[in-house]
Amino acid sequence: MNDYDNIWLHRLKWAYLLLVVLTLMTPVIYVMYVSFNANGFGANEYVFTLEWYGLIFSDELLIGALGWTVILALVVTVVAVPMALLSAKYYKAADNKLFPIFLLLSPLFVPPDILGSALLVFFKNLNLVFIWLGDQIGTSLFDSWFRLSFLTATIGLIIYTIPYSFVVILITMGRYRTEQTEAARACGANGWRAFWDIEFPQIRAGVFSACAFTVILVFNEYTRTSLLKGGFDTFTTVLISQMLNTGMSPQSYAMSAMVSFVAIAVIGSIILFTMLRAESLGRIARAKAEPVMS
Amino acid sequence: MTYGTTDMTDNKAPAVEVRNLAKHYGDFVALKNVNVSIAAGEYFVLLGPSGGGKTTLLRTLGGFHKPTRGEILLHGRNVGHLPPDKRPTTMVFQAYALFPHMTVTQNVGYGLKVAGLSKARIAEKVDYALEQVGLTQFTHRKPHELSGGQQQRVQLARAIVLDRDILLLDEPLAALDAQLRKDMCLELKHLQEKVGITFIHVTHNQEEAMTVADRIALIANGDLVEYGRARDIYRAPQKSFTASFVGENNMLKGKVAQSNGASIVVDVAGAMLQVDKRDLDVSDGQEVTLSIRSECVSLDRANGSAAASDGLSMIGTYDESVYLGLTTSHLAHLPDGTEMVSRVIAGSDDTPPEAGAPVRLSWKPSDIRLHVE
Repeated sequence: MNDYDNIWLHRLKWAYLLLVVLTLMTPVIYVMYVSFNANGFGANEYVFTLEWYGLIFSDELLIGALGWTVILALVVTVVAVPMALLSAKYYKAADNKLFPIFLLLSPLFVPPDILGSALLVFFKNLNLVFIWLGDQIGTSLFDSWFRLSFLTATIGLIIYTIPYSFVVILITMGRYRTEQTEAARACGANGWRAFWDIEFPQIRAGVFSACAFTVILVFNEYTRTSLLKGGFDTFTTVLISQMLNTGMSPQSYAMSAMVSFVAIAVIGSIILFTMLRAESLGRIARAKAEPVMS
Repeated sequence: MTYGTTDMTDNKAPAVEVRNLAKHYGDFVALKNVNVSIAAGEYFVLLGPSGGGKTTLLRTLGGFHKPTRGEILLHGRNVGHLPPDKRPTTMVFQAYALFPHMTVTQNVGYGLKVAGLSKARIAEKVDYALEQVGLTQFTHRKPHELSGGQQQRVQLARAIVLDRDILLLDEPLAALDAQLRKDMCLELKHLQEKVGITFIHVTHNQEEAMTVADRIALIANGDLVEYGRARDIYRAPQKSFTASFVGENNMLKGKVAQSNGASIVVDVAGAMLQVDKRDLDVSDGQEVTLSIRSECVSLDRANGSAAASDGLSMIGTYDESVYLGLTTSHLAHLPDGTEMVSRVIAGSDDTPPEAGAPVRLSWKPSDIRLHVE
């Protein structure tokens, strides 16, 4: 029996789906709800206001952290996504796929605090080695290379995000037929041109999704970033330290809600655009594909 | 003028010359010491069973595989070190090779765009190429809006528009249904005659090979077994593999009973068969193979169990007939169990012998061939 034949089964399915989404989104929705309350978190009386949103830009700590996070996200994305793309291309061409996939996905299986602390110890020792090397040749040029800083946080986050980008790109790449690259080469295109003209347009969605995913992961990441960041704060580290020390400020709720709104809007737009485009392409294809003689 | 490559043409040299070519994948030998020469303007078919090495040879010619050993000369120039885009070749693939995000026009014009031609020149050449393959009304369609046959025609147009000297076709009709494959075979042949360039076509389908080829090369187990004109390959195969793969041949194993003279006598399941020696080096007692095409074997009811003694026939036991539309195959077996087939035009003998009845299988002296390997 088709489940659409039973209206209650159909409604139950949708109710279940809604329940799952609500379970996932309720904490975020609650933060949004609080961000519009003039009396802040836990107040007996709810008074709607946009005041906290107006005050976000006067919170220098939060704005500074947001700036660092955006820069970190951009740098990590610019480095990690091309690396993941190259890895996915290598993986697709490799005869033995087990070993490269194990290597590429292994950072996912290491708990974040262990990976973060391991990197912390590694960078501290590496820094000592570089200082010693500098001392041997009489220069202090290397002294700060691997001191905890933006660079070490970036490296830590690249290690963290590459496996996710790799998987996202690989999924899109799975549908790509390598015969098309060969056909482009047979038409006179060199390797780069064949990739750019033929392969990239077909995996573009995966690459852009990997970019979006990487940005979200960097915004979201706390453990590795807080261990490796050195003398600056990111959005998440500020929020969490505020929450642990003094409790979140109303501006923090507003900022969290705003970031969530932006993320949902971006992801929602991508999904909506993809659905509309698929529908539009399908309609055109159906219209054009009347029976033809071969 | 070719687009996308430097002009390498030497009119005196063969279009393709392969010398001692070998391709290994670790321990696996895909091609062993292949030597072949293909003339300019020839329709050359690489025929053989799957996994035999014919696609490896084609892809090595196209620059998609680097040879382990040996030389590839295209119009007299060694191209073994060149990538696909630097060779005077282009290629039609079995399937899935059209660019799905481009229209038919964009697909066909892609190579010209890469070569840097003006938009007007590209449009002119694309129109002409699409006209050649009969697809002028589908210019704005995407590949998924075309049938399988149309997609392969777009691939053809995309290849011929480049005016390269050599077109490589890797099982271009394998994904098409039987009727469309037949139609496309003739179209390919006519197109090759029209454009006059060298076509090198890989297939495992002998009917397809016979339809299009000027010459056919048999490739199996990494070896180039034999090559020659399509008619010769079919009617007068040199090697027993060729006889077993091309056409429907009866393969008889026997021992040389008498090797003196222009024709020898071979003992096959107790019958002494005469066969032309063909200047082959044979000696008494040597194991040899004989081949006779099924359509050359006549099958008649035998009177009693008298053994054939003319050297050009054998007595066997009738098994069954298989109606194949145009022809009917009559199956019989020899005393040693070897199966023999006699193929006749359907309807010419409507009352076959009963199963188990003795039959005489006979042929003309010129229809039986000796193979020594």
